[in-house]
Amino acid sequence: MTVNFDNAATTFPKPVSVRQAAAKAISELGGNAGRGGHDLARRTSEAVYSARETAASFFGASPENTVFALNCTHALNMAIKGIMSDGGHMIISSIEHNSVSRPAYALFQQGKIDLSCADAETDPDRTVENFRSLIRSDTKAIVCTAAGNVTGQIMPLRPIARLCREKEICFIVDGAQACGVLPLTLEDGFNILCTAGHKGLYGITGTGLLISDGQFTIKPMIQGGTGSSSSLLTQPELLPEALESGTLNTPGIMSLKAGIDFVRRQGIDNIKEHEDRLCRIFIDGAKEIPGMTVYRNPGAEYVPIVSFNISSASPEKTAAMLAKQGFCLRAGYHCAALAHASLGTKQGTVRFSPSVFSREEDVHRLLRLLRSIQENRSDL
Amino acid sequence: MQNQRNDQLFCTLAMPSYTYAKKAEGLLRQRSKAVKIVRREQTSVSGCGYDIVVTGSCQAAKAILDRASVPYAEVSHDS
Repeated sequence: MTVNFDNAATTFPKPVSVRQAAAKAISELGGNAGRGGHDLARRTSEAVYSARETAASFFGASPENTVFALNCTHALNMAIKGIMSDGGHMIISSIEHNSVSRPAYALFQQGKIDLSCADAETDPDRTVENFRSLIRSDTKAIVCTAAGNVTGQIMPLRPIARLCREKEICFIVDGAQACGVLPLTLEDGFNILCTAGHKGLYGITGTGLLISDGQFTIKPMIQGGTGSSSSLLTQPELLPEALESGTLNTPGIMSLKAGIDFVRRQGIDNIKEHEDRLCRIFIDGAKEIPGMTVYRNPGAEYVPIVSFNISSASPEKTAAMLAKQGFCLRAGYHCAALAHASLGTKQGTVRFSPSVFSREEDVHRLLRLLRSIQENRSDL
Repeated sequence: MQNQRNDQLFCTLAMPSYTYAKKAEGLLRQRSKAVKIVRREQTSVSGCGYDIVVTGSCQAAKAILDRASVPYAEVSHDS
């Protein structure tokens, strides 16, 4: 039996309602949203707008400032490159995923921006001060994850948002690991929230969101057909079409709507409580296994993700041995070189990340297996 | 542009996109205005797109959209 504890990469299984929504879109919503006036186009356009309203309402935004993307990386690239297109200085945190650090570094390498990195510390006040100390007169944006994808550490978003507002800096938040387990909305003070649709929001892969408060102009990275102002060679300036060139992923978008409705029905607090409980069981069990290290610091807050290592095997080898027994956990650097450099985990870690569907008995089985691996038992 | 059909006033407003047409439709319906989204029949200078047709005066419809900062253009041809 396959047990997925790699839900931080993408949640699986998906709720029945999500699978049904995607299937229904494939079989019934065969038009091209926002293009044409025939019945198929009209029905598809209506459905996509309804999904836009659902996502907007979930994140405290307006539908026209809610942009569908392919994934969180796509949304973050649009936000970072769109805000920094005229140059300036940008600050990111030391635990960013490559979806932030790579586009930021690419702009820096091309000589288009100056880039600084603020240390994420256990003490949130010190983290905020680290950001504050790096702000310059030409700082245009701060990009910060809501929760790191390696250890799950939650970042002090509200104080950073206040800092940004005070200095008129655009605050871009990566919500990939937080949306669906933390109640993030634009009311928290973000200017742009980017997230995946296929993780904690339970949509299918190929979905993401860029949510803007409309205060900062995001220049489009790509241009193309939007279904509007078609005679003009210039890209429309209004969101969402400015950032949505080309045909939309209707089955994905409808699955995302169903996923958000699912999360609403379950309740973010209930989902987090369930996943946190499984993480606590895992961490408590890990304490009983000599040579097992869990990367959490007292005083810091975490989303339901636990990074660990065992002394008898490398992260990749540990994950491979777990996979032989049907457990899916991700090992290595988790596309987050900065975070592992901060942790000092030269070979990376193994990451345990449950979902709302994960079961306690599977956590106990996993712990027994990890103990066996650590004890070098020959039955593996 | 204000048109009169069968003794009833209709106002046709060109919307910058389907998204804004839906936004306008929602706002106008909240204010009990009869409104429908139609595909623009005659391609304008900027190209194809969507219009909203509102029953009643343009002035009232435009005031509602202006208050919500919803962009639009009046259709310059008979619909």
